[in-house]
Amino acid sequence: MKRRVVITSCSAITPIGYGKQAITDSLLHGKSGVKPLRDDGLLTDRIHSRVFGTVDYPIAYDFTRSQRKTMGPVAYYACQVAKDVLSASGLSAEFISSGRLGVAFGSTHGSPTVQRDIYRTFFQKMEEGFSSIGAVDYLRSMVHTTAVNITRMFGITGRVIASSTACTTSSQAIGFGYEMIKFGMQDAMICGGADEYDTTTVAVFDNLLACSVAYNDRPELTPRPFDRKRDGLVVGEGGGAVLLEEYEAAKKRGAPILAEVIGFSCNNNGGDLILPNLDGITATLRLALADAGISADEVDSISAHATATKMGDIIESQAIEAVYGDKPYVTGLKSYTGHTMGTCGVIELIMNLYMMEAGFIAPTLNLEEVDPRCGNLRHTPEVLEMKIGIAAVQNFAFGGVNTCLLVKNCRGDLC
Amino acid sequence: MTRDELQEKILTILVQDFEFKNPKPDDNLRDDHGFDSIDAIELLSKIEAIFGFSLTRDEKEKAMEIRTINDILDYLDTIRQGRGNSVTPAS
Repeated sequence: MKRRVVITSCSAITPIGYGKQAITDSLLHGKSGVKPLRDDGLLTDRIHSRVFGTVDYPIAYDFTRSQRKTMGPVAYYACQVAKDVLSASGLSAEFISSGRLGVAFGSTHGSPTVQRDIYRTFFQKMEEGFSSIGAVDYLRSMVHTTAVNITRMFGITGRVIASSTACTTSSQAIGFGYEMIKFGMQDAMICGGADEYDTTTVAVFDNLLACSVAYNDRPELTPRPFDRKRDGLVVGEGGGAVLLEEYEAAKKRGAPILAEVIGFSCNNNGGDLILPNLDGITATLRLALADAGISADEVDSISAHATATKMGDIIESQAIEAVYGDKPYVTGLKSYTGHTMGTCGVIELIMNLYMMEAGFIAPTLNLEEVDPRCGNLRHTPEVLEMKIGIAAVQNFAFGGVNTCLLVKNCRGDLC
Repeated sequence: MTRDELQEKILTILVQDFEFKNPKPDDNLRDDHGFDSIDAIELLSKIEAIFGFSLTRDEKEKAMEIRTINDILDYLDTIRQGRGNSVTPAS
């Protein structure tokens, strides 16, 4: 059994805004969401990189105490975007709890804020003779906290996949959700990811000399994917969700079809856990095309992983050139948001859906002078009005995990 | 601390931390206020903070029989009596 899979609803909370209007405006007007790193009273003074892709606007959450009690900050993002997606979907309560709707959702490592609170409590209370670790601290901090808080909040009884593969967390979630529906195990899946504000992630990448440090006083000028003066990634936060449905069922119930997921690939470099790997990434891009049954020249645009690290952008450029040549337009959307870690795949997919709808490709922000080693591509230096037919969304993670999603514009008579 | 004072303290916790609306001493915690096993464990940790000591495993298991706010107060009386009634709540 192989069934077609479509995206019928989406929502994202990002450093450049919450929802379609805000995000589209930011992409059209080159608005960066990178801000100064906030003082956390713990690690900030020891980190060289002082920039962060920050969600700095209020969000009107409306969760009950019963819902909130098992949620850390990461689950707030996850449940809010899942709530948006389900509210917009028009799916019946019967279907939501039928067992035919599943959840594929993840984060890099649950809630580091709650984990930090646990350790703070542990060390502070050692002298007091009793432990006061909260009963729900595990539920709020565990690695699958986003997925199961979504199932709990909405009474979802289908499959749960809680991917947690760093930067490919949410692209894996979408890909695995797509396969669940394609092969008939589920009829619909809520897929995505979230990651909260966290300085430990910054500290880790900073320690590996992978974070941007040269633009601490001008945060909006970094990251700079493919640019000669790029100096590393910028960690960010956010959440995003898409609703995937089996095509015939979605069409029958009159759901708005935003795009079709036509291909997905996921592989591993089979070796080093940190360094980007040309063979592994190139294979990923080819596997996605094979899964979709299309040729490289049918792809109009590529949303590159493009973290703005020195080597990562070069290796990705070489892989794109090897598979696609210089035909598709290439953009690096992390230039707007920073690297939102586990949620970058779904956020970048949703940005592509918005660009498909509005008919443009957003340029790579801060790309002023292309690094010659990334030069053999068709970069997007300014807003390009263009009808995107098929877009590729590429993501690569620590651990050597690579993913590629291929989505087809389904608006009008394109589907 | 008298039973009335303790009741006031518990009611304040239930309203402020557990968002109970108009709790009364004989309300059923689960049926009337949606109080579940996770909440019970959370309340016990707050009680530990009030008294400044750790409850034993046996004491915690006995708490699982609590059904009403009055039961909570009876339970706390038992705990205090078991420890020689010398327990003074922390400020």
